[in-house]
Amino acid sequence: MSALLTLQNVTAGYGSQTVLREISLTIAEGGLTAIIGPNGHGKTTLLRAISGLLPLRAGSISLGGLNLTGLRPDEIVAAGIIHVPQGDMLFPEMTVIENLLMGAYLPEAAAESAMRLEQVFALLPKLKERRNQVASTLSGGERRMVGIGRGLMGGGRLLMLDEPSLGLAPIVIDQIYDVIGELAAAGQSILVVEENAARVADKASLITLLDNGHLVWTGQGAELMARPEILETYLGA
Amino acid sequence: MDVIVQILASGLTMGAMYAISTIGLALVYGSLNMLNMSHGALLALGGYICYFAMSHLGLHPVLGLIAAMLVCGLVGLGIYYVAAQPMLRSANFETQIFIATIGIGAIIENVILRLFGPQPTAQPLNLPGALVIGTVHIPNQNLLILGVALGLMAALAYLLQRTRLGRAIRATAQNREAAQLMGVRVGVVYAQVLALSGGLAAISGVMVSSLSSLLPNMGGDPMLKAFIICVVAGLGNVYGAVAAAIVLGLLEAFAQYMLGVRYSFAILLLLVIAVLIWRPYGLFGRRQVVRL
Repeated sequence: MSALLTLQNVTAGYGSQTVLREISLTIAEGGLTAIIGPNGHGKTTLLRAISGLLPLRAGSISLGGLNLTGLRPDEIVAAGIIHVPQGDMLFPEMTVIENLLMGAYLPEAAAESAMRLEQVFALLPKLKERRNQVASTLSGGERRMVGIGRGLMGGGRLLMLDEPSLGLAPIVIDQIYDVIGELAAAGQSILVVEENAARVADKASLITLLDNGHLVWTGQGAELMARPEILETYLGA
Repeated sequence: MDVIVQILASGLTMGAMYAISTIGLALVYGSLNMLNMSHGALLALGGYICYFAMSHLGLHPVLGLIAAMLVCGLVGLGIYYVAAQPMLRSANFETQIFIATIGIGAIIENVILRLFGPQPTAQPLNLPGALVIGTVHIPNQNLLILGVALGLMAALAYLLQRTRLGRAIRATAQNREAAQLMGVRVGVVYAQVLALSGGLAAISGVMVSSLSSLLPNMGGDPMLKAFIICVVAGLGNVYGAVAAAIVLGLLEAFAQYMLGVRYSFAILLLLVIAVLIWRPYGLFGRRQVVRL
């Protein structure tokens, strides 16, 4: 498999605080990559740095050989990285279908929006039922589905999901991860950020641990679950 | 009965006029969280440009109006690139841009004062005659204002609901970061919103001055009312602002007839206080957490 996303010595932060320190990571085309780590250790910051919402202090990011360092968020979306942010960030006064169509805002995605909408509805049938409902009136699980569906509408090469299990009931979390597993099985490259290693261990082709702004361990899911001392040291689990 | 029709007609005209000056303010606040205090000066500028184009350059009234919209739109664009954009990343953006636009408004008004002088000037864009039904007398100018306002609102609703730019504006207003993650270039959206708001201010200024007269500081009163309407409707809510503008216009017309002109503004303010006690986030506003 060829390299899709490459981070080299990425350093970023807010104000006087450095959150990410010299992160280097390569993600292969296809499959699910998971970044695991406790709250407040830079997982969300890493995704924000990749999607251009947060400028890098140092280092570089490239997607399939295309240098993305210093580009604006809209240029990074156009290059093919879709970021589904933490807490969904839907457009609260738009309907489900309007939210989904915003995901295909850029001209290239807009040209294929009818086809993608069919795919999203096939994957998440609930959204078809709720298509004309205003986003702010949806339940938490439905909102998460709109967030993921909206991300899929962009047709990106890499889909980044920030804590898709956040704030959901266990049964809904299972549904969401089933959908993520289906997408990965269909060949969509996915980068998911998660606090709970057990949720992604069996699905991820690559797992990496983020601790205090550093990547401290990278390997396969089964490998991680077989080494309880790592989980204990970094996640206290 | 005739009196009621007369009041309705003048109330609707006033409401329509308020609506147009309010839409610009609401659009800018809704998408940038920016209170554009130079909006009143842009109204005056638009009125004077139309006057200049018609009286000094001999242009057709429609061309005069278009010239006013273009100039004010460009000034709006200028306000974005000179003041708003450099401050956008600051944590105190809302306060900074509030004060900066007060300064910009003062500059525009004084440029007008220097170029055209302090004397009241008649706005040449004026339809003579009136529509007379029985004893009811409605000036054609009022009908023109009503027609232009309705046309503009329909055009704006189409822009916001049906076009790509409109979707980008709404998305940016509802969640700026999410809009960026959809590929919306928010800087460009902001610039377009300020240009659009400038164009709307020009039309509003031409209409206001056609009912009274041109003065460099003529924008103060309509802007104050536009601001009140925005607050009543819920800051940033464009459709709510239109509804509130028309209701307040009618109310003002009734108050003027029943109690006299001097009480109408006081009653307007009293109503605003009552509304804000009842619903602090405005009639159509979203309840939201204020950033500290």
